[in-house]
Amino acid sequence: MATPALNTLSQSVTAAPPPRQSFLYKSIITLYRVFAIVVLYAVLLGILAYAFIMGFYAINTTWAAPVIISASDEKSLDFLQKLVTSKQMLEDLHVDSLHQQTTLDEMTKHLASLEALDPELQGAIVRERAHDRLTGPQLAALDTQKQADNIKTQAVLTQLQQLESSINKDLAAGLITKSDAATQLAALNQSRDAYTDSRIAQVLLTDSVLDKTTNGTKSLDILDKQAELRFEIAQLDVTLAVSEKQLQEDNRQIDRLRDAIATAKQSPYYLNATGDNRLYFAFVAYDNQASAKVGAPIYDCYLDMVLCRKVGTVKQIFLGEQDITHPIFKTQVRGFTIQMELSHPNSAKSKTVFLGSKPLLF
Amino acid sequence: MAPILLWLVMVLCLLISVVKYLMGLILKFSFPTANIQKDYTWHPTVSVLLPCYNEGETVYQTIESISKSNYPTELFEVIAQDDCSADDSFQWMIKAQRDFTNIRIRTGRNPANCGKARTVCNALQHSDSEIIISIDSDCIFHPNAIRELTACFAEPRIGSVGGRVGVRNPNDSVITAIQTIIYYSAFQLYKVPENWTRSVCCISGCLFAIRRDLLLEIEPAIRARHWFGIPVNQGEDRFLTHQTLLRGYGTYINNDALCWTTVPNTLSVLFKQQLRWRRSIVRDLFYTLRTLPQHVWKLHPNTVLTLVLTPVGAIVALLVIVTMLTSDPLAWTGPMPLLAYLGIAAALSWVISKYSVEETLEHPLAFGAYIAWSIVSTLFITPLALFTMDSADWGTRTKTQEVPLGNTSA
Repeated sequence: MATPALNTLSQSVTAAPPPRQSFLYKSIITLYRVFAIVVLYAVLLGILAYAFIMGFYAINTTWAAPVIISASDEKSLDFLQKLVTSKQMLEDLHVDSLHQQTTLDEMTKHLASLEALDPELQGAIVRERAHDRLTGPQLAALDTQKQADNIKTQAVLTQLQQLESSINKDLAAGLITKSDAATQLAALNQSRDAYTDSRIAQVLLTDSVLDKTTNGTKSLDILDKQAELRFEIAQLDVTLAVSEKQLQEDNRQIDRLRDAIATAKQSPYYLNATGDNRLYFAFVAYDNQASAKVGAPIYDCYLDMVLCRKVGTVKQIFLGEQDITHPIFKTQVRGFTIQMELSHPNSAKSKTVFLGSKPLLF
Repeated sequence: MAPILLWLVMVLCLLISVVKYLMGLILKFSFPTANIQKDYTWHPTVSVLLPCYNEGETVYQTIESISKSNYPTELFEVIAQDDCSADDSFQWMIKAQRDFTNIRIRTGRNPANCGKARTVCNALQHSDSEIIISIDSDCIFHPNAIRELTACFAEPRIGSVGGRVGVRNPNDSVITAIQTIIYYSAFQLYKVPENWTRSVCCISGCLFAIRRDLLLEIEPAIRARHWFGIPVNQGEDRFLTHQTLLRGYGTYINNDALCWTTVPNTLSVLFKQQLRWRRSIVRDLFYTLRTLPQHVWKLHPNTVLTLVLTPVGAIVALLVIVTMLTSDPLAWTGPMPLLAYLGIAAALSWVISKYSVEETLEHPLAFGAYIAWSIVSTLFITPLALFTMDSADWGTRTKTQEVPLGNTSA
């Protein structure tokens, strides 16, 4: 190896003899090749079909995905439960509302009666004050006069004491009989009684004058009652306003609930849960909305796209939004539900159906 | 149940790959024993075997690069063996023989086309050196390559040593950019744990050094390889590595032994190359499964796992992709895979530009296209490989005349 040289290798290496394949190997290889051809063509066809299906569903706008909704479906049960709860709430609200309305009516009546009482009380006070203003001075004059009369009467009664002494002297002297003396003494006592009554009347008169000419406790009581009445009226006013608003709110809530229940009753889940017959539904993506028309024919196809046949029509369109997984792409798709009238119930189990026309014209 | 099992196997394969990459990173920087003890003072005689088929002028460049080797010229020779090229490859070999007189070059020609593996065996007949280095005729070699390879044989239990294959044309196209990253990460990370246990499962045929005695021992098996009677001429590098391991020797890749290859720059050529590789992987799996007890008994668990799970992963990936495409067809279009690939590409591109300037990528983000290639590769190449195991077509060499393998008369 020390000397680099132009060195061509000898042709000592001979061509290897062709290996001899046994019959078994030949058979295995033949089978393998046949199998390989079949499998590879199948793979190729599978890939082409897959690509075609992907492309087809990417551009097709008439497909719908049948959905079988069971009465025991979680969503249905949840829906029904919510519906029952809503109805119960509606009933409760209705009863509350009626009760509130009755209370409100009662309160209104009470208010009206209180409001009617207030002017009467005010009138009575005014009238009484006017009367007092009129009779007060008169009674005061009479009181003065009564006092003068009493003073005079007292002077007379002083003289009656002397008379009583002379009666007693006359009786003792036998100038008069006992009977006469008793009669005369009784007359004297009567005069004294009359005087006492007169004094009492004078005191009462003075009280009356005081009542009529000054603001006494009695008039203050009346004013207090008037204030209480007005406070009660004001309080009732406030309560009435609040109750009316509450009632209005309850009524609005009732209306909303009624609307919601009415809408819910149009849901496929309600129809499915309460209907006697089996109902068929399908999901339509928003992209395919134009194909979903009431009465539009529905086609079911083999291999999800070919050899289609009419299997029914679109019966109803539900506007509530639904979210489902795309039957081919497995992505989340937004859309809505339709009810199908199917002549071939088995089509409800197909992965997709087509609305309006056959997707590939055959 | 079946899809879950598929996913489990797939996850296991991926996990092992990820673990291997991570381990590679850790071992590379933390464990000195992951690297072999080289002895540059030992200078065995070396024969560089150069099988050639339809390479044209490239073979001349290859020999030229070898002639620039810094290994003592009196201790190595080049044995270039033409496999009946349909072009002027043989003339270029003769020209190289005339031009590069500083080294000993011997040229020869097979009497009939018989494929790379048998051409190597034919060339081996003319060699009596201690170390045999088999190379690809389209590669350019670093002057240090022979020295680096032989230095590893100082460890007596080492049977075969490979070098790192760099990409000569990283910026030809998106395809070459992707391959650059794959090649670099495979050699610098993925194979490091295998290096650690001296049990690399596949040493690239671009630069493959082996002890002569060992190769002579394996040669009959190479010549006898067949698929139900049809001679097998592909994947000789994987086969040689596998046989080295089974004979109790260690295998190692020395990343300092460099050679540069021109990777396919068109989809069709890449497809053919990958198909050939996939066939040899599947064939290797069949062989491993057939002799599994022997493998389990003799080889390092890391080696057995790699030998089994790499091809199983490729087959399972096919089923997983099919399952994924039928159950969630648009899953792969999400941004996460793309972001992950771009992140990996950015990191590896930076490393490449720092440590292997020749391979610096102009558009590293082209690696994002690897997602599409992964799907194509998994969906098409694996089934095609599985069902064309009887094919002898090399695929990436232009042929102007068809020569049925093993059925030609001299």
